[in-house]
Amino acid sequence: MRDDRDRPYWIEGDVPHAPSPDQGPEPWGETKVVGTKRPRVDGYERVSGTAVYPTDITLPHMLYGAILRCPHAHAHVNAVDTSAAETMPGVRAVLSGFTPDDPVTAPHSEFIRTRLFHPHCRYEGETVAAVAADTPYQAWDAVRAIRAEYDMLPFVSDERRALEDDAPKLYDEGNQVGDTQRYSRGDVEAGFAEADVVLEQAYRTECEIHTPMEPHGCVARWDGDSLTVWESTQGVYNIQNTVAASLGLPLSKVRVIGHYMGGGFGAKLQPGKYTLIASLLAKMTARPVKLALTREETYLAVGNRPPSNMWLKAGVKRDGTLTALEYVGSGASGAYRAGGVSLLDWQVRDLYTCANVRTELTNIFINAGPARPFRAPGHPQCSWALEQMMDALADAIDMDPVALRLKNIPTISQARDGRPYTTTGFRQCLEQGAEAFGWGEARATAATGDEHIKRGVGMAGALWGYGAGGPPSTAFVKVFADGSVNLNMGASDIGTGTKTVMAMVVAEELGVDPDSVQIDHADTGTTAYATASGGSKTVPTESPTVRTAALDAKRQILALAAEELELDAASLSLQDGKVVPAGDPSQAKALAELRSLRRRRMITGVGHRGPNPADKVTCPFAAQFCEVEVNTKTGEVKVVRFVAAHDSGRVMNRLTYQNQVFGGITMGIGLGMTEERVLDGDQTGKMVNKNWHDYKLPTALDAPADMTCVPIDVPDPEANIAGAKGIGEPATVPTAAALANAIYHATGVRITETPASPVKLVQALSDAGKGA
Amino acid sequence: MTHDGKDREGISRRGFLQSVGASALTAAAARPAAAQPSGAKQSAEADTLSRITLVINGRQRRMEVEPRWSLSYVLRERLGLSGTKVGCERGECGACTVLIDGVPRYACMTLAVEVEGKAITTVEGLMHGEQLGPTQQAFVEEDGYQCGYCTCGQIMAAEGLLRVEADPSLDEVRKQMSGNLCRCGAYPHIFAAVQRAAELRKGGAS
Amino acid sequence: MLPQFSYVRATSLDEALQHLGSEDVRPCAGGSDLLGCLRDEVFDCSKMVSLSGIEQLKGIERIGDAGIRIGALTTIAEVASDPLINRGFTALAQAAAAVASPQLRNQGTIGGNVCQKPRCWYYRGEFHCLRKGGGTCYALAGESQFHAVLGGARCYIVHPSDTAPALVALGASARVTGSGGTRLVPLEEFYVPPSTDPQRETVLEPDEIVTELTLSAPAPGLRSSYRKVRARGSWDFALAGVALALQFDGARVVAGRVVLSGAAPIPWRSAEAEAAITGRQLDQATARAAAEAAMQDAVALKRNGYKIPLFKGVIEEELLKLAGA
Repeated sequence: MRDDRDRPYWIEGDVPHAPSPDQGPEPWGETKVVGTKRPRVDGYERVSGTAVYPTDITLPHMLYGAILRCPHAHAHVNAVDTSAAETMPGVRAVLSGFTPDDPVTAPHSEFIRTRLFHPHCRYEGETVAAVAADTPYQAWDAVRAIRAEYDMLPFVSDERRALEDDAPKLYDEGNQVGDTQRYSRGDVEAGFAEADVVLEQAYRTECEIHTPMEPHGCVARWDGDSLTVWESTQGVYNIQNTVAASLGLPLSKVRVIGHYMGGGFGAKLQPGKYTLIASLLAKMTARPVKLALTREETYLAVGNRPPSNMWLKAGVKRDGTLTALEYVGSGASGAYRAGGVSLLDWQVRDLYTCANVRTELTNIFINAGPARPFRAPGHPQCSWALEQMMDALADAIDMDPVALRLKNIPTISQARDGRPYTTTGFRQCLEQGAEAFGWGEARATAATGDEHIKRGVGMAGALWGYGAGGPPSTAFVKVFADGSVNLNMGASDIGTGTKTVMAMVVAEELGVDPDSVQIDHADTGTTAYATASGGSKTVPTESPTVRTAALDAKRQILALAAEELELDAASLSLQDGKVVPAGDPSQAKALAELRSLRRRRMITGVGHRGPNPADKVTCPFAAQFCEVEVNTKTGEVKVVRFVAAHDSGRVMNRLTYQNQVFGGITMGIGLGMTEERVLDGDQTGKMVNKNWHDYKLPTALDAPADMTCVPIDVPDPEANIAGAKGIGEPATVPTAAALANAIYHATGVRITETPASPVKLVQALSDAGKGA
Repeated sequence: MTHDGKDREGISRRGFLQSVGASALTAAAARPAAAQPSGAKQSAEADTLSRITLVINGRQRRMEVEPRWSLSYVLRERLGLSGTKVGCERGECGACTVLIDGVPRYACMTLAVEVEGKAITTVEGLMHGEQLGPTQQAFVEEDGYQCGYCTCGQIMAAEGLLRVEADPSLDEVRKQMSGNLCRCGAYPHIFAAVQRAAELRKGGAS
Repeated sequence: MLPQFSYVRATSLDEALQHLGSEDVRPCAGGSDLLGCLRDEVFDCSKMVSLSGIEQLKGIERIGDAGIRIGALTTIAEVASDPLINRGFTALAQAAAAVASPQLRNQGTIGGNVCQKPRCWYYRGEFHCLRKGGGTCYALAGESQFHAVLGGARCYIVHPSDTAPALVALGASARVTGSGGTRLVPLEEFYVPPSTDPQRETVLEPDEIVTELTLSAPAPGLRSSYRKVRARGSWDFALAGVALALQFDGARVVAGRVVLSGAAPIPWRSAEAEAAITGRQLDQATARAAAEAAMQDAVALKRNGYKIPLFKGVIEEELLKLAGA
């Protein structure tokens, strides 16, 4: 097995780029379109019902697929009898590991290196057999009619017990995934010796499941030897790559389309086995097959934010100087090698100035679905520990929590060899966020009174260790003969507003209305290459790419116009579909009237993403502040308001930026207060809450209406030529910790394990003698 | 390549002039002539298709269904009205919200045979030809969505609220929108969109 | 995806009753609970008898002086917003408003709500538990966060209804009609505890349905309320809930009922709490004593110990609130 503990979302390294860095354009000064509040260019489609998501697609003669999944936490499949299923009405194909000539015996992906229907099922939800039928009802009738014989095997559901000697083993070599990862700088013992106060505490965050609104799914159709897959995905090229490799097809024979997609949060960066199953069923039946997972399947088999166990010891001087941080983390990879502890220590390593840091992380196999990247992998968990510890340290030295953080702001990435940040707005986040929140006053007045409903305020700082974006990416900007524009890019718009931001970038450079820009995207058959949308890297990757392409088109147009108007190209600009001479705007000429453009019919600008600065680090920063009301008799917590200050470089679209921030907060409320995978670990190992009722997402009554976004709108020209950093992930990093700190402020009780629901809180209050 | 040519009434794209007949009528006509009163006797065998008539966005649709088919399945997979989304098929998310006799309900938890003769309104039925209805328009203006998959259901819940309460308070909005999950967490923008929709509707125009 | 079943939509009560009588023929009112059970394959259904066409089972009307009759097919939303119920039977209106989500309140019926199946995740899940005819209650040794602290015996579900505790507190009766005729059952006696039979929830026979719920005129000085604590603001069933119907004479409680939801396999009338408040001024000490009394026999399973302080807290809070109302 490959060691991929630190697998990034994309493969790092040098790729060709153009223009070369030394020919890069100047950063934007004043912008006209970029940075404004802009409703989405595809809003009409989203609200009218005309936006077609992959699972909306119906094709002539299309069949429906369904998958039989292993109902046991750990089992060996001895036999699968599909004879009854095969003769049922509407059934067109049945496939299992016992089908003669099992068509996919090779590892099905680089992530899970087992056969498509592997007889050794290491978690509840492994694929055992599949069916295609005329209707989904018939497909499920057939799944229910398949008889599978299992040998049940001992299982382990809890990573905290999985390394004990007598724990059942998933693999011969044991349940630890690779070696424990260790990091250290300075001298931690000396650091603690220097401290005036040393605290230590254990923390835990429960397993969180992505559950995007659109279940994972696809439609697969063959045209001869060519396969087309409509997939609900964050990156069409990722899907193409794995499907082609698994089926032994050249990339050119696998077209993946993913125009709209109903949310992913990291769970849709890769295809599932279902994608291959749909493709095979379509091949067997010579008909298109739609295979959308049920909600229950999405809870079991398409990823999670793993449960994290953290222990943190911290030393601080009376003046607020951090002297040492020691951190031990472990997490559950699930049944296969995945990022069980990805980036779980990053903020301890890098958020605050501290000379002496030691961390170790251990990734552990358990009999449950494998982890996948989930919005800022590792970070909200680490924040839950670190930011509660910072709060406790501030308390211990009688210092304001914001002041303690301000005291320890780094300008360099200590964990990346001390390389400086291109920009850090962490100080502004803390200061402007506190100001907007009214922190000082709120903190002084909140936790008073002897009523049983207690108010409290809390805050937390954060960074996201990625968010710079980077190559490779290519975009084309095509200017038609009348001056209207088509943008061609590979990126998906996963709901963040990517299409809108990119149309704004085109509009900024070419002087057209963003709504008029036609966009082709997320189609391996027709669009340029882009990496998947994840890691908060889409805007900082694609904005510079698209800007470069637009500038290339602009340069060509202005050159044509200069020749035709007999003026210097440098004196011309593009505005409202016209070429405008600097000295004499009255001589402006519509692009449609340029003879040379009419003759060519089209100008194509090409842009590539240039490299990031080699000697610097680019990260987004954040600080969030919140107010809660705690009913100390019942443990109910009402989130009253949130203020979120974020430094993500240039704000590209104020409206979608704010929406990302609010969404991050809402998701953080889920992690902190309501969400938790529950496995029946003492009996069957099965997940008992694999649905949206028993696994509780925040609703409209749980997210406060009173949220304020404070953008620290400082462009980062060194990072890239758009000056933007990512926002999607940092928005959810500090939320849960800020809530825990507010609950502590209100009640004096620290909730160190998520979720801070009445279940936990009322018990903790009662134990502390502060409850009913 | 994503449209299959099945009937997708009134949902052709903006700027592409096509017949606008069907949906232009629907928003105003709350209760079109019922095909069959809901009290009428109906029986159906499990494994055969029975003929029913549904009134969807003001049009009668005769079709054959199994008793177990949900309204969401019929709308999406049999009639091509894919604005109604499916997130859970168990009444736990609201993506499939439609109006049944003007009242928001989950289409996934409603059998097609059970709503014979009732007025079913889907998001496609809120359009005025190619024009967005005011509730839809408000969601665009306020960016009341992210991925958009829950959006049509959110809009139908909002529409149901605003038809009975023209000027809801924020508390009322939050309560009535609490049967629709948004995993992207766009709730504050959704609340703003519902309140904006109330304004647009009072203005009488979109 | 639901398995197959045949379907009949009855146009009259008599017609519906003709179809009922065996376990796998299922009456369907609003359907929100039934379809969920069928989807989760909790039980079989060969034939569904839709009641939705029976007009006589819909609506709320006044009976007698100030009593009311609620047709079983009246939706939860209609109950929650009904002016008569809001005026005289506040606990019921509050309970109905706390059910599930707006869309489910528009679909679910009051008859269905009081007859709903348990929401225990083992019962609804792929576990052959005691209640489904298996040999064990998985909650005993398993994940019992949302299970009973009172009244459990072999099976530890909690009764899921919000309206039932309110109706029991208000002294409601259910009219039950079957092929053998009609009977009026006080709702308090409608539910079957697992100590009697762990495989049934109510006294209904397969050929019977609830046709209406009746409430007598509220006694003079009666105040009622329902309060529900849940893990999130919508959809959720009660972690702990309390329905109160107390008859006051000044600040003194003359008589009253305290009924808990989320506590026991049936809506749990706490005789201990009632005894602690009856005849007393409802002050802080009395409320506290009643809350303690309500939990004196509570027994926690492995994961639901929090319910004991939670119930104490919510009972005390709600008693004081009603006293001050």
